[in-house]
Amino acid sequence: MSEEAVDVLIVGAGAAGAAFAWSLAETRMNIVCLEQGGWMKQEDYPTAGVDWEMRRLGDFGMSPNSRGRKEDYPINDSESPIAISNFNAVGGSTILYAAHFPRFHPGDFKINTLDGVGDDWPVDYAQLAPYYDLNARMMGVAGLAGDPATPPHDFPLPPVPLGKVGETLAKGFNKLGWHWWPSDSAIATRDYEGRAKCINLGPCIMGCAQGAKGSTDVTYWPLAVRGGVEVRTQCRVREVTLGANGLADGVIYYDADGVERKQQAEIVVIACNGVGTPRLLLNSVSKEFPNGLANNSGLVGKNLMFHPYAMVNGVFDEPLEGYKGPTGCCLMSQEFYETDLSRGFVRGYTIETLRGNGPVSTALAGLGGDIPWGADHHREFANRFDRSAGMVVICEDLPEEHNRVTIDPDLVDSDGIPSPKVNYRLSENSRKMLDHSVARGTEILEAAGARDVSAQAPLQPAGWHLMGTTRMGTDPAKSVVNEWGRSHDVKNLFIIDGSIFVTAAAVNPTNTIQALTLYIADTIKKNLSNLFD
Amino acid sequence: MSEAVNHSQFSDDQQRSLSCVLDQIIPPSADAKMPGAGEIGLVAHIERAVHKTPDLRPTIADGLAAADGLAQSRGAQGFATLPEAQRSQVLEELSTTHPGFLPSLIFHTYVGYYQEPRIVAALGMETHPPYPKGFPMEPGDLSLLDVVKKRPKMFRAV
Repeated sequence: MSEEAVDVLIVGAGAAGAAFAWSLAETRMNIVCLEQGGWMKQEDYPTAGVDWEMRRLGDFGMSPNSRGRKEDYPINDSESPIAISNFNAVGGSTILYAAHFPRFHPGDFKINTLDGVGDDWPVDYAQLAPYYDLNARMMGVAGLAGDPATPPHDFPLPPVPLGKVGETLAKGFNKLGWHWWPSDSAIATRDYEGRAKCINLGPCIMGCAQGAKGSTDVTYWPLAVRGGVEVRTQCRVREVTLGANGLADGVIYYDADGVERKQQAEIVVIACNGVGTPRLLLNSVSKEFPNGLANNSGLVGKNLMFHPYAMVNGVFDEPLEGYKGPTGCCLMSQEFYETDLSRGFVRGYTIETLRGNGPVSTALAGLGGDIPWGADHHREFANRFDRSAGMVVICEDLPEEHNRVTIDPDLVDSDGIPSPKVNYRLSENSRKMLDHSVARGTEILEAAGARDVSAQAPLQPAGWHLMGTTRMGTDPAKSVVNEWGRSHDVKNLFIIDGSIFVTAAAVNPTNTIQALTLYIADTIKKNLSNLFD
Repeated sequence: MSEAVNHSQFSDDQQRSLSCVLDQIIPPSADAKMPGAGEIGLVAHIERAVHKTPDLRPTIADGLAAADGLAQSRGAQGFATLPEAQRSQVLEELSTTHPGFLPSLIFHTYVGYYQEPRIVAALGMETHPPYPKGFPMEPGDLSLLDVVKKRPKMFRAV
């Protein structure tokens, strides 16, 4: 069944798809977005019920392999020490993200020039800075200006509260003389653009019942829809099709009833994240592209980058009220961000402090023996509940071709579409960085007064940031898309998500994904008359 | 908790034994501020978990039968009538013969116990879910940043 051609067809309604749709809406072109998930309802988010903590292990879990939602597709990540985390809905993974919103540093775009590793980006910080600013206004970013670790930038909203946890850990950083700063957070700390202000519910990573967190279903999408963009939900795209002229002519997808449909389009834009995007391209096989669409370079799916994470926690003597306030967004440190080869590795990491857990999560975290059953149970629970705090560490991953996304020979989703497989090995550089970060994290916690410090590195379920699998560049032999997201091989095919990252930096990527998307959208608008030249 | 169960998963005798096992997993605290897990009726929570995950039923039923059997070998009528001092020892023995029994029950007991409003209140928290009331928070002492503000630019020039 074929449908009338649209001007622009976007696949994926997450962080990138939403920003792109909003930006292009002003052109009044006929724009449709196909999304395999649906619209979320704020009243369905876990914090509205007493069982809220347990739903993190159920329908609001991080892994698509165990969440049990029809709109998810399975991902074979058995050959990776880091498991894939994502979410499929209007808003994509911003539904579950912690809303950390730091920017890349200028040097992050030029690591080959600076450090002789990876590759330089074909765009730089100065080009993206206006789009970071625009994105801050659109997503509603809270923070404090003046951070010496990053180029100067302003915030439309005041920072998230430090709380007792933040103050306690800040004193630890100060004792060591190390950098820290309130986190850049896409959280409405005041009523903002129709969003109610944050009321410190706690687990942003299970969706925000208040609607204060900047997920794109409550930021960009309402404006894009008002601007005329159509979002078609529960529609899962199987492949991008190629016309006789060598241009993409649309997609084949399955609708909510599982009916196969064809949507024709003049421009196809892919925004399915660092695993979903190469999956779609590798499933789009034709005579002209037997190894997957837009894959003349052979790089589709290669150079997968995560951010290897460490988690370091400690136990304090005093109550911290850690179950209040945004779980992940509190304060961050970039003391060890820039390269210092005396540390034994190249590049660096960001530290982001964590608040505490609710009672169920505290008890379950102690299942390994810290909180035993029996006579000592209450004493050990009391020692830990509301007295635990710590941090995660985000290490910069470097691009390596052997880290990759391919199509699994056996696994399929509920529509029968072949699913992706991830092969990933942690590099020696990452291991050294993780070890260094655990040692520094331990020092911070002890300086802040913690005892019983424990760590996990790498953090297994932390495959939140999926980057690099259709990298951008000016050389068609060494990249999949050009400096404004257009496929080198298919002139009306654009990729706008984290797949096009050349390197990963050591910060959460959503802000940069969206700034880059807005930059690409503006470039398209400026070049509409000769877009396919 | 308040959710109704359509049908019981266990017999009256099994429920009595199960309640005693739950009180071993989380017993009443010495200062009596925190009640035992069996004491607050968490059997109903376990039955709901079994209803939701039927595969759990044989693990728990077989474990309870074994616990009763070990109690009988010690001269009691069942686990519920075994002297208090011997109960944890029986459960330890089951970890070898029925390795899934205790871990499954501990997991579901921890979950049910710490969701229970009476327990949440005893921890000093409000018993409602976080939404819609939320939690008030002060901004915090940002003067702690004064030393950081004095630092020179940290990021590298390109």
